[in-house]
Amino acid sequence: MDGKVRKPKQHQQKHSGPQAEKKKLKKHGASTETDERKRNPKAFAVQSAVRMAKTFHRAQDIKAKKHHIPLVDRTPLEPPPIVVVVVGPPKVGKSTLVRCLIKNFTRQKLGEISGPVTIVSGKKRRLTFMECNNDINTMIDLAKVADLVLMLIDASFGFEMETFEFLNICQVHGFPRIMGVLTHLDSFKNNKTLRKTKKNLKHRFWTEVYQGAKLFYLSGMVYGEYQTQEVKNLGRFISVMKFRPLVWQTSHPYVLVDRMEDLTDPEKVRIDPKCDRTASLYGYLRGTHLKNKGQIHIPGVGDFQVKDVNFLPDPCPLPDAQKKRALNEKERLLYAPMAGVGGVVYDKDAVYIDLPASHVNQLQAEMQPTTELVQSLIDTHATLDAKMAASKVSLFSGSATLDPTDISEQSGEQALWDPKTQRERRKVLFAEEMKDDDEEDDEDEEEESEGGDEGESSGEDDLSEEEDNEEDCLSAFLKKSRGDSVKASGPPVKKSKVEAESERPVFADSEDELEMSEHESEGKDQPLGAGDSGHCSEDESDEESEDESEEGCLMSNTVTKQKEEEEDEDEEGALKWKENLQLKASQAFLRQQESAPNLRKLVYGSVVEVEDDEDEEELGGLFRVSRPQNNKRFQANDLDSSHFHPDTTHNWDLEEMLNSIRDCFVTGKWEEGQDAATLLKEDEELYGDFEDLETGEVQKGQAMREDLSEKSEADSDDDGDNEVEQSEVKMDEEESRKNKRLEKKRRLKERFNAEYDDGDATYFDDLKEELQKQAELNRAEFEDVDDETRVQYEGFRPGMYVRLEISSLPCEFVTSFDPHYPIILGGLGSSEGNVGYLQMRLKKHRWHDRILKTRDPLILSLGWRRFQTIPLYHIEDHNGRHRLLKYTPLHMHCGASIWGPITPQGTGFLALQSLTGIKPNFRIAATGVVLDLDKSVTVVKKLKLIGYPYKIFKNTSFIKGMFNTVLEVAKFEGASVRTVSGIRGQIKKALSTPPGAYRATFEDRLLMSDIVFLRSWFPVAVPQLYNPVTSLLLPIGQKDSWSGMRTLGQLKHDLGIRYKPNSDSLYKPITRAPRRFNKLHIPKELQKALPFKNKPKQQQPKGKTSRDLQRPSVIREPHERKVAALLQALSTVHNYNRKKTHMVQHSKHKEFLKEKGKQEDAKLKRQKEARKKLYRVMGQMDQKKQRSSLKGAPQDD
Amino acid sequence: MASEGLSYDGCNFFRQRLVLSTLSGKRVKIKNIRSKEDDPGLREFEASFIRLLDKVTNGSRIEINQTGTVLFYQPGLLYGGSVEHECNPQRSIGYYLEALLMLGAFMKTPLKATLRGVTNDRTDPTVDLLKSTALPLMKKFGIDGEGFELKVVKRGMAPGGGGEVVFTCPVRRTIRPIQLTDPGKIKRIRGVAYSARVSPQMANRIVDSARGILNQFLPDIYIYTDHMKGANSGKSPGFGLTLVAETLNGCFLSAEMTSTPQGQGDPVLPEDLGRNCAKLLLEEVHRGGCVDSTNQSLALLLMTLGQQDVSKVLLGPLSPYTIEFLRHIRDFFQIMFKIEVQKPLEDERKGGDKVLLTGVGVGYSNINKTLK
Repeated sequence: MDGKVRKPKQHQQKHSGPQAEKKKLKKHGASTETDERKRNPKAFAVQSAVRMAKTFHRAQDIKAKKHHIPLVDRTPLEPPPIVVVVVGPPKVGKSTLVRCLIKNFTRQKLGEISGPVTIVSGKKRRLTFMECNNDINTMIDLAKVADLVLMLIDASFGFEMETFEFLNICQVHGFPRIMGVLTHLDSFKNNKTLRKTKKNLKHRFWTEVYQGAKLFYLSGMVYGEYQTQEVKNLGRFISVMKFRPLVWQTSHPYVLVDRMEDLTDPEKVRIDPKCDRTASLYGYLRGTHLKNKGQIHIPGVGDFQVKDVNFLPDPCPLPDAQKKRALNEKERLLYAPMAGVGGVVYDKDAVYIDLPASHVNQLQAEMQPTTELVQSLIDTHATLDAKMAASKVSLFSGSATLDPTDISEQSGEQALWDPKTQRERRKVLFAEEMKDDDEEDDEDEEEESEGGDEGESSGEDDLSEEEDNEEDCLSAFLKKSRGDSVKASGPPVKKSKVEAESERPVFADSEDELEMSEHESEGKDQPLGAGDSGHCSEDESDEESEDESEEGCLMSNTVTKQKEEEEDEDEEGALKWKENLQLKASQAFLRQQESAPNLRKLVYGSVVEVEDDEDEEELGGLFRVSRPQNNKRFQANDLDSSHFHPDTTHNWDLEEMLNSIRDCFVTGKWEEGQDAATLLKEDEELYGDFEDLETGEVQKGQAMREDLSEKSEADSDDDGDNEVEQSEVKMDEEESRKNKRLEKKRRLKERFNAEYDDGDATYFDDLKEELQKQAELNRAEFEDVDDETRVQYEGFRPGMYVRLEISSLPCEFVTSFDPHYPIILGGLGSSEGNVGYLQMRLKKHRWHDRILKTRDPLILSLGWRRFQTIPLYHIEDHNGRHRLLKYTPLHMHCGASIWGPITPQGTGFLALQSLTGIKPNFRIAATGVVLDLDKSVTVVKKLKLIGYPYKIFKNTSFIKGMFNTVLEVAKFEGASVRTVSGIRGQIKKALSTPPGAYRATFEDRLLMSDIVFLRSWFPVAVPQLYNPVTSLLLPIGQKDSWSGMRTLGQLKHDLGIRYKPNSDSLYKPITRAPRRFNKLHIPKELQKALPFKNKPKQQQPKGKTSRDLQRPSVIREPHERKVAALLQALSTVHNYNRKKTHMVQHSKHKEFLKEKGKQEDAKLKRQKEARKKLYRVMGQMDQKKQRSSLKGAPQDD
Repeated sequence: MASEGLSYDGCNFFRQRLVLSTLSGKRVKIKNIRSKEDDPGLREFEASFIRLLDKVTNGSRIEINQTGTVLFYQPGLLYGGSVEHECNPQRSIGYYLEALLMLGAFMKTPLKATLRGVTNDRTDPTVDLLKSTALPLMKKFGIDGEGFELKVVKRGMAPGGGGEVVFTCPVRRTIRPIQLTDPGKIKRIRGVAYSARVSPQMANRIVDSARGILNQFLPDIYIYTDHMKGANSGKSPGFGLTLVAETLNGCFLSAEMTSTPQGQGDPVLPEDLGRNCAKLLLEEVHRGGCVDSTNQSLALLLMTLGQQDVSKVLLGPLSPYTIEFLRHIRDFFQIMFKIEVQKPLEDERKGGDKVLLTGVGVGYSNINKTLK
């Protein structure tokens, strides 16, 4: 340990043993195995079976979780255009975006955009753009049909309530794809705040849609348009987007109407302007197949029976299949009849050709009033009063304007007046964000204060704002002037006037167009000058109609067609024609008899027309000849049985007949492919060749042997090339052989699949495959049938451009038609057109600030419909009873029962309290889902019946006041009742008088003061109010002002009715009277028997003692007092002495008594001794005497 | 609401109209019911049928005028549940049961119907026939499971009746599409020869005569004899035979024959009955198809009420009842079937022409079923 450091023991390599062996192997042979599993099998051995099972389970769980329920793919081959809805609050840049996107896709500039615009965006995709205005009705309707929503958000302002409302609407009605687009990003001067805002908005958007939802940024405008590159990017995103199937949309047909024509007879309209209209509505069919003469609902109008449906040639077809990357200019189609673009428009019986705007430029210019004054006069929609009310005064330039409402109601922190857009904006503030805002404000202020240079920037801001305003004015003016020159293809016409403009943006141009189009529809054949669409060619229409009629009576025509065909055939060979004519004729007849259309005709065709032979003879104009059993009647009242008794039964005793069905049995002959012999042969082919391992001999299957021989033949053939004919034959042979080989291969593959794939095929795979097969079958079944017939079998398929004719539309639909509002034709399934009771699960929206009251009308958006109804809220008790609630619970689901349209279960709905006006708060009152449909309701409310006992026996009492008649009591016999004090009882029987009284027994005796009550449940009737919201029928400009039934609260408020409470229910100060107790009364008899102690003491209070009995008090003289004191003292001393002597005497006497006792004792002792002595002597004497008498007396003596 | 009703004349196909009206929710008005006959109006069995319909639905409105010649029916929702019904003995239970088979799967709660009356008669398909053909057919559409059963508790022959049948059916939300294009070959024939209140020997006599004919085709024939005694034998005497041919692909073809009711017409010898019934089965085989002639309409209805997928079924010649049913389906559901005639090949010995019907379902889903 000292200086000597011991060397550590050196490692000694092993030279023998397993370790050394291993090393040696490693050194020489290197690692032969690269797979670790094989090299080190122990490490990968099963350590624990339990853990292995666990990991396996987990892996399987993860695998299974990824599965979705497979659905049959029912998307049509040529899908309808994708509906892209552009949503956002006003002045956020919706129209501009639509315009830019259209320009991006079609290189066309659209002016005023109204109604849906359909474009071809790619080789396989078409888009329909629709702008959604700020009306909640429109938002609801468009959310139901949208495939993709572009949600525009004004980044300079932040989220507005409309955005969130729309998101909620989407959530309820199935969630379409939503893409956010931030605009007004150029208003940020500070880069940091821009970044911060972007981030904030993005995260908020993500929480609402899903994490990572796409949010686009449109930075800044260039000449009133968004930057081309950004729009292009957005367009790319749209054109590659994939969509998910939404339940409601995939199960209902619907049409977003892009064209409307009024078909009503003008004369009829002239006579009665309010008559019901017939209109044809056009659009792409979406969703699923539409059946002719089905029922549809037009949201905002009502339910209608479709009079007729036709499909028209596609006005905006996809390009024909070409191997080309981009579309050429001709294929970039645009179709927007409501916006006055569309080129040639086909109708069922007419063709409309749109002349390009340049043709009618002059006329339009003339029509346009030149001065702005006239223009503004035309634009007016509101009266002067309304304008006055709406007018705003701005005190300082750039500051917020004041308006009457502002003064009357100080809008809260939510509703903000935006000076730029001239409207109230409903800012959404989140708790955290509010804080953030404050912070940011602070920061801003700080920043401003930081640099004096920057201080000016705020001023600049103001300036720029003013400039903006000016620019707006300027641009408006510019547009105006430009509009005169290039009206039709001109720039956006949506004027942004700053001065005194009411809520509604100007639709002046659309108005004009509308009027024009109306004129057109009234007189179509007049060539109108200003018409954007206006010509109809007579001959074409005629042709069309002919076609129609042909198609209509297809059944009858098919036969004639056949004949024609036959004739054609016949004409071909003029000579052959005459050969065995009769036979041919009979064959043809038979063919005709038995061919398929004939059977179809039999089933669906002519038989229906039997009914119209209603010609009854009249006798003398008074009586009708009654033919009891004419043919039709007999048929109509035939026996109703599903048994099929054919008229001619075959004779089954004949061998021929028996032979005709031999093959139907397993004992009969089998088909070529399924014959046992062929199957065996196949097996031989497949498995025939094998190698005998023992002998090494190779057995070849038959086919192979053939192949070989053929090959050798072929080889030999090859040698002789020049034989051309032979080669041809060979070709054929080769073909057949090839086919054979392919067939064999296929079969082999099938077998392989069956053996290996299906071995571990899961249920999921099977299901998926099955559905895949079904989808293929669906596609293939009617593929080769022409559209006319196909439509009859499967209905109009989605993707078709259809025209629906609807009669009996209300006239307001046509007269107050506004293309800015979407018209949706929603198809209804069977029995969805009926009304009944619906039970739903409902939850008040947590952002809605008031709870909902039972029996207050509510506007529901359910299915396609928007309607007002009166819900009853209820909750399910533990025993399954639905108990009525007066109000919705705050943070809980509750049930709701309504009277409304029958809608399939699982359909979501949302509820609103009113559609009118803009309130700062969240308008969606509740959301929920339909649970059950029924024709009766089961909601009950608690009812306590109260009665009073009027006669009480032991445990039986007579109760009155609970019922009014004996019958009522009889219904409740046996019911349990209870008193307030908790005594339980049962109703026994009614009493005859008074009416409604009954006998009841209780578990204890009642008191007369008890109240008896009966707890019962009373079924509540749901009010049958179903009031569809008819917002589309309102006049233009007031379409968002639909108001239905008012709530009770509103009514009371409007009519100034105060609630008059029941005076009994009011709270009053409690006054308690002091309690008085009666005296205890003991009967006289008892009193007598009581011992004196317990007897009541009759102590009369002493009366006044009479004066003579009152003794006067003595007042002593001082001398007398002295004497008395002395006497007192003397007597005290005397008493003491006496006591003392008495004590002494007493003790002396005690001693004396002791002494005396002693003496007495001694005396007694002595006496006792003496007596003892005496008795002994006497005893001895007696003994002697006796002894002597026994011995004989005289002897001894 | 603008839903228009449909209007029909005469009492023919009375059940079809009411059943389809119930399923589609469309109201229906039937006028001129036997208006020109000596005793006009609805018969008792029709009234009984309406009553049954009223029992299984909730909220349906039925109005009949005083003479009974006009009926207005506004359907309610199919409710189901436990239903007991005394079927009028003018028609057998099959008349009522056929309608319940069509409605059973679309109820709110699983149906358990106890029907009392005539179980077997000559006009309607008997309960035995429906049990052996309609139920397996419905199973192909996905209506199966534990509670899918038809049980003959008591047999009651016409005219007295006294039979009892319990039909239970589970509820389905959607119906599967089917592809029944190949019936396959018949592998076995089964049957029930039943007799009630007659000598038990009758059944054996029927079996012998029927086998005599059918054995020419197939060895695998087994005909059960079912002799009901005592309380289970109903009120009237009678006997009959139901034959069912099962194919390799699980299709069922059937024929049946019942003795003439007591006191009506000439009595039938059991041997004749057996022979005729066997011939009827051969006739049915000759017609062929995947569904026998009695159940054609049921198959078509379930195809109509399926998802929006293509269904195909191969049938024998369409019976008049089926043809009318197809028309009614078009009226109520706006669905037409593609009808193709398949002719047998030259050397094939598989009976007469077949009809291939192809249709797309309307995408019907059971809206009565409660969501929990």
